[in-house]
Amino acid sequence: MSPNDLLPRFKAQYDANNQEFSISGVVRPQAIDELGPSIALLRDAIGRVRGVLYVNVRRLTQMNNAAFHAFSRIIIDACRARPDLKFVVITSSVVGWTSRKFGRLSGIEPNVTVEEYDSQFYPGQGFLEEGGFVPILRTQTKMTWRHERAILPRHGMRPGIVMADICCGIGDFAVLVQKEFQPSRIVALDHSISSLNYARRVMREFDIRGIEYTYGDASEMLLDEAQFDLVTCRHSLQIFNRPELILKELYRICKPGGRVYITNEKNSHCLGEPRAESIRWTYNEVAKLFGHFEMDVELGPKSRRYLMEAGFEDIRVETFMVTNLDGDPQDFADVIAAWADVYAGEMATRRGDGPEFVARFRQGFQDHIFAALHPKGYAGWPIWVASGRRPQ
Amino acid sequence: MGPVHHDLAGEPTFEPMIQIDMEIRTFVSAWRHCDYVSTYMARMISQNRSDSVRHSNLFSSAFNELLEVAFRTRHADGALACRVSRHGATDRIELTFPCLPEERQFYEEAVSQVAGFEARERYLNSVSGDLAPSREIVLLELAVDYNATLRVEEADGDAIKLVVDLPLEGLQH
Repeated sequence: MSPNDLLPRFKAQYDANNQEFSISGVVRPQAIDELGPSIALLRDAIGRVRGVLYVNVRRLTQMNNAAFHAFSRIIIDACRARPDLKFVVITSSVVGWTSRKFGRLSGIEPNVTVEEYDSQFYPGQGFLEEGGFVPILRTQTKMTWRHERAILPRHGMRPGIVMADICCGIGDFAVLVQKEFQPSRIVALDHSISSLNYARRVMREFDIRGIEYTYGDASEMLLDEAQFDLVTCRHSLQIFNRPELILKELYRICKPGGRVYITNEKNSHCLGEPRAESIRWTYNEVAKLFGHFEMDVELGPKSRRYLMEAGFEDIRVETFMVTNLDGDPQDFADVIAAWADVYAGEMATRRGDGPEFVARFRQGFQDHIFAALHPKGYAGWPIWVASGRRPQ
Repeated sequence: MGPVHHDLAGEPTFEPMIQIDMEIRTFVSAWRHCDYVSTYMARMISQNRSDSVRHSNLFSSAFNELLEVAFRTRHADGALACRVSRHGATDRIELTFPCLPEERQFYEEAVSQVAGFEARERYLNSVSGDLAPSREIVLLELAVDYNATLRVEEADGDAIKLVVDLPLEGLQH
């Protein structure tokens, strides 16, 4: 028996402000006595609350039947003793068994409801996940890859490593990395089922090996800690309202001595000539629009601070500019047109912008396209790259 | 996926993936062995599933319950054998462990009831009941929550073999 055997591997907490009892980790007791303090905490919480008690099992990785029965009994008894009290069990679709198992409780007691948390996870990301966006995401990756393939080795990428690509989207970056650098294993995680289905289809059609696509929540991953030499997370912290939570998880799964690599934008620095003023105005407005939906597309230069505050060392930051001169200028123009459709379309409408604003907003994108396709024009999209090493 | 093979009896051929054998005395010396074995084997066999991390979590969850059943055997001698094989989307666990003759009869009855149409109702009754879940209820739960099919097979000596088919790929997103 190792000393670790004696450590509890689960944690129970009660948050009085939110009337929320949460239990997380691996709960596999041999005898119910081992759960004594947690059960007492739940009983105590039930005694204190009015209205609704939230039971949060989102981070519950495993729970055996003995423990499930013990907690269920207390909830069912409380429903019968206090008909005024409602229970909302919050599960995660990432942990496949929780919704099925806890879902049974609502069949026994109508005062118990079970909600899956993940549908509300990324407040604004639904805008960017519709099927029509896939070709544009591929084009974006093609444009950034021209730069990143040279940059990545300075941030820990090398053949044979074990890496994770968190918020992998449609998986195209993982595929390019696999072909170029031959890591021994890539785990690619995203919370979008449609994106993962696309990624798996590509993997099958092109007979790509060595990538494991997995469904998950970047801020609460099922992945074990300290197992990756390099963890990449591209263009994602900026569309998450609590980037520090994701960074904490990236740190956790990274090996000591390994590196975490992030890329982000500063949208207000997109530029073009001619028609620079119109372009600048529109991209300033893009930053404000994303801000309205709790996303910070100005995060790029803040990467250094975020990495330092997450505990990383040896932080490296650099920038690159995707331009109309990198490849086919039409690719650049297509990407801008897709941005215009979403930003000046659904997002502006959702914010309640009037037609006058939308017309001016859209014009800036048109001018950016004009600059990209102009024979003497220049159009740019700046990206900030940053990485930090997890201390040994 | 490769061609589907069938044996002469018409049942699809399950390809062996991994097997762990232990003395039952060693196994029952620490409760944590259930967790260790289920977690380790789940990781090993899930690598080439469409979502390895989620599959591993689900498999470990189901397999741990079976190992906890075996842990409670009252027979102190013999060996525990855990074997996992695969056919398409289904993983088969064959768990062989020593048991007394009366325990064998209990398992045969429990498994026959798992297949009954009222299995779900009996499981719900057990959740709302006062008693801690029995081994029978644990087997029922595998059928209800994991769509498992179970059967008991002959094993040499004072032993029993539980055969559990888990179609976990179908439970994935």
